[in-house]
Amino acid sequence: MTVHTPTADTIEWLYLRHHDGLRDWIQRKLNNASHAADLAHDTFVRLLMRTQGAATPVGEMREPLAYLRAIANGLMIDHWRRQTLEKAYLEALAARPEALAPSAEERAMILETLAQIARLLEALKPNVRTAFLLAQIEGQTHAEIAQHMGVSVRTIERWMTDALYRCHRILHGDAAAMGRAS
Amino acid sequence: MTAAATPPAADLEALERQAIAWLVRLQAQPANPRVLSACDQWRSAHPSHEHAWQSVAHTYALMRQSFMRLPRSEAAPAMHALQRTAALGGRRRAIGRLAALALAVAPAAWLARRELPWQRLGADYATATGERRDVVLADGTLLSLNTDSAVRVRFDDTQRRLLLDRGEIFVSSGADASSPVHRPLRVETEQGLLEALGTRFSVRLLPEHAPPASRLGVEQGAVRMQPRSAGVSPLVADAGQRWLMTRSGLQAEKSADMDIHGWTEGLLVIQDMRLADFLAEVARYRPGHLGWDDDVAELRISGTYPLGNTTRVLALLAEALPIEPVLRTRYWTQVRRRR
Repeated sequence: MTVHTPTADTIEWLYLRHHDGLRDWIQRKLNNASHAADLAHDTFVRLLMRTQGAATPVGEMREPLAYLRAIANGLMIDHWRRQTLEKAYLEALAARPEALAPSAEERAMILETLAQIARLLEALKPNVRTAFLLAQIEGQTHAEIAQHMGVSVRTIERWMTDALYRCHRILHGDAAAMGRAS
Repeated sequence: MTAAATPPAADLEALERQAIAWLVRLQAQPANPRVLSACDQWRSAHPSHEHAWQSVAHTYALMRQSFMRLPRSEAAPAMHALQRTAALGGRRRAIGRLAALALAVAPAAWLARRELPWQRLGADYATATGERRDVVLADGTLLSLNTDSAVRVRFDDTQRRLLLDRGEIFVSSGADASSPVHRPLRVETEQGLLEALGTRFSVRLLPEHAPPASRLGVEQGAVRMQPRSAGVSPLVADAGQRWLMTRSGLQAEKSADMDIHGWTEGLLVIQDMRLADFLAEVARYRPGHLGWDDDVAELRISGTYPLGNTTRVLALLAEALPIEPVLRTRYWTQVRRRR
């Protein structure tokens, strides 16, 4: 028989003990205090979701700090990816006359969409990614892409199958994760 | 589900790959009846095949939704940004298994939190011929505009109104979570009001119909229909139903020769359709004039056609039927019997 005390098996305890250290660690990597505070907060939100979703109970974590840092790392990569996306997108926009530029809210929506797509693409080889984007964004046919990239139509079809399978696994994983969280 | 119907994980992966290979083949040759029937055969060969197909088709639709949210005009900057950003992938792969576990839950929450409250209270949206566009409204509603369409969005404290002035829209109603009171979502046309009862549906104006009508197609949920004329009682349309609404009446439609929501996926999906009806559909997506001779009007056609390239659709037609499209100028095409 054990007596329950608020010890190392609660998120509160983890938060009190590790939050500031985690925030400082993120800040050293990001060089931005307000983003670091956001991301440290998000890290604990993520941990809450995970532990409530019948995953590893906090008490069973051998290295809570390593675990927190791993989560924070993922969030930082999302953050960097968004920054890179935004920068590259704005660069491309700058090359156009201002009258044709989308409004601020359209731009926000487009960036959001791009971030979703970027996540699907990141494990793809550069050639596969390019072919996939030509098909999905520009609506080119397999024959057109094959000609454009100097490979056979069969190769394009193989690449499309690879790319779609990746997307399927990622999106399928999301659905499963949402099922667990709810 | 019995244990026997669930294949082991390794087989499931192989089946999903096969299903995707069929999807890719269908995209390469959307109108090839041999590919279509071979794919159907594969699907019906075993319940696990159909299961894999459905799973793959579902995630494919989700993925297409993302891509279709990018306006056509943004293709070039989008390509540029995505090519540039994908290089970050290597960093993520280096993090290791622990992070991969944690990240498995991450995306959904991230997206939910970053969902921005679009302030599009008084916005107007329109598309050109051949263009399609998806918009997320302030309440979370997803609004898709088909070719040559115009809609005005008028939200206030008591209701969410969409005024359809031209063309066709698909509405996937949002939760409207930020509003303290329930605000009904209504599509208004010349002929009357269509009120969403938590739902996904489309409305298309048929000005050439006699008398002029609005066509409603309900994919999910239900829609309450109220024609404009006084004294006409409202009716409720359920999922899977199609209705024609005129100013003075409502009429259920039975015709099943076209998937009326195919356009939201960029496809024209038809079954044993009159060629004249089919060409009238294609003409909506094609700038300029598309006409046909009387002696081809009653030919029949089935298949799945990409809406993004109507010239290609006409070329595919010429392979399937004894017809030829004659392009007199870029904007004047006549379909006639092949001589």
